[in-house]
Amino acid sequence: MSTETRNDFFIYEVFSQKNVTASFAHQFSLLAPNKEVALTMARENFLRREPCFNLWVVKRDDIFGLTPEERPFLERLDNKSYRETKGYGDLQSRWRQHKERYEDQQKQAKSGS
Amino acid sequence: MQTQMERSDLTENEKMEAFLARIDRGEKIEADDWMPDDYRNQLIKLISMHGISEIMGALPEKEWVPKAPTLRRKLAIMAKVQDEMGHGQLLLRVAEDLMAPLGKTREDLMDDLFTGKLKFHNVFHMEAPTWADAGVIGWLVDGAAIITQTMSLDSSYAPYARALHRICAEEKFHAQHGESIVLDLAEGTEGQRQMLQESITRWWPSLLMFFGPPENGNVTSNQAANMRYKIRTQTNEELRQAFLTKYVPRIFHLGFTLPDDTIHFDEANQKWVYQQPDWEAFKQIVKGNGPRSAHRLNLRETSYEESKWVRDAIMSFGRQAG
Repeated sequence: MSTETRNDFFIYEVFSQKNVTASFAHQFSLLAPNKEVALTMARENFLRREPCFNLWVVKRDDIFGLTPEERPFLERLDNKSYRETKGYGDLQSRWRQHKERYEDQQKQAKSGS
Repeated sequence: MQTQMERSDLTENEKMEAFLARIDRGEKIEADDWMPDDYRNQLIKLISMHGISEIMGALPEKEWVPKAPTLRRKLAIMAKVQDEMGHGQLLLRVAEDLMAPLGKTREDLMDDLFTGKLKFHNVFHMEAPTWADAGVIGWLVDGAAIITQTMSLDSSYAPYARALHRICAEEKFHAQHGESIVLDLAEGTEGQRQMLQESITRWWPSLLMFFGPPENGNVTSNQAANMRYKIRTQTNEELRQAFLTKYVPRIFHLGFTLPDDTIHFDEANQKWVYQQPDWEAFKQIVKGNGPRSAHRLNLRETSYEESKWVRDAIMSFGRQAG
């Protein structure tokens, strides 16, 4: 029964974009003999209901990535607050203090005159 | 996907300990992560059975398209069949990635289906002679599937969890499609109500069987292993109880009966008490000796043969396109 071989099929990874300002997001993978069929199947398999603005298929063999052993090194040390907004959390209260001091001075000046 | 050379200076035991520690921390496992053979085999068995069941369920369902009573129902059934085939494809892809290191492919799964090595869900071995069955299958069989699949949304195997997130969203639509058919019949003529009652009676034992045999205080080694690996989080009986809680009251609200005079909710133990289906018959059914087992496998074979020209056309285009 299964005399046909699937050696001519490749794994494609599917990415889609919900709308023009959205980033491409990975959907899933599928088996197809070529990229045109992969693109058609991607619509049939993954986009029967979801809104979609654009679609990519990429042969899995053409993706270069990290091994499971390498992936933990992606985690960043939590010592780079100068790169993030949380490293500057004091700014707002300092601005407020300056504003309040200024307003107090203004008030005193007014009542003193 | 290409990656650089794998470094493996850990012993098998150390790998196993690290793996179980990851599971305990609630981490998710990916296809290319190290995993014990036992974990891989449990997943292959579960996911290939789930995937092939989606397809074995879609094949008899598509037979309803010409017979469905209105255009809207025909379109809805076609959409459901397409969804189920899509679910089969998603799940087979997840299974294939797990089988790849063993040198096995989708072809092997199909061969296993025909030799009876790969089982499919008990419900797809059963007769569905009337339109009411189409409704009951959508309402209660898909409803039962939603209960088991929702449990696995948090599965430790990340690709399966991702597939299930897509699948569950669509199964909810299938259940609503079934509810809509059932409510139309329940609000219909005496003849329609009788047809629906007969269907509920016919499907009741299969629905109880859907979740598998009860543990009776002794969880099978398979279930225990799957719970240890956090592939599943609830036992067969816990799932069946959730199903009964959700659906038995609704069946009664419509004024229908179950072929079980003893069924009731035991308030003291907070559990449904019910008559067990014939678990020996269940074993025979999933072995491929159910009333429609041979016919359904035959449908699979016919549909594969009849669509050969499509595959041939795609392949010849594929070769031209390179």
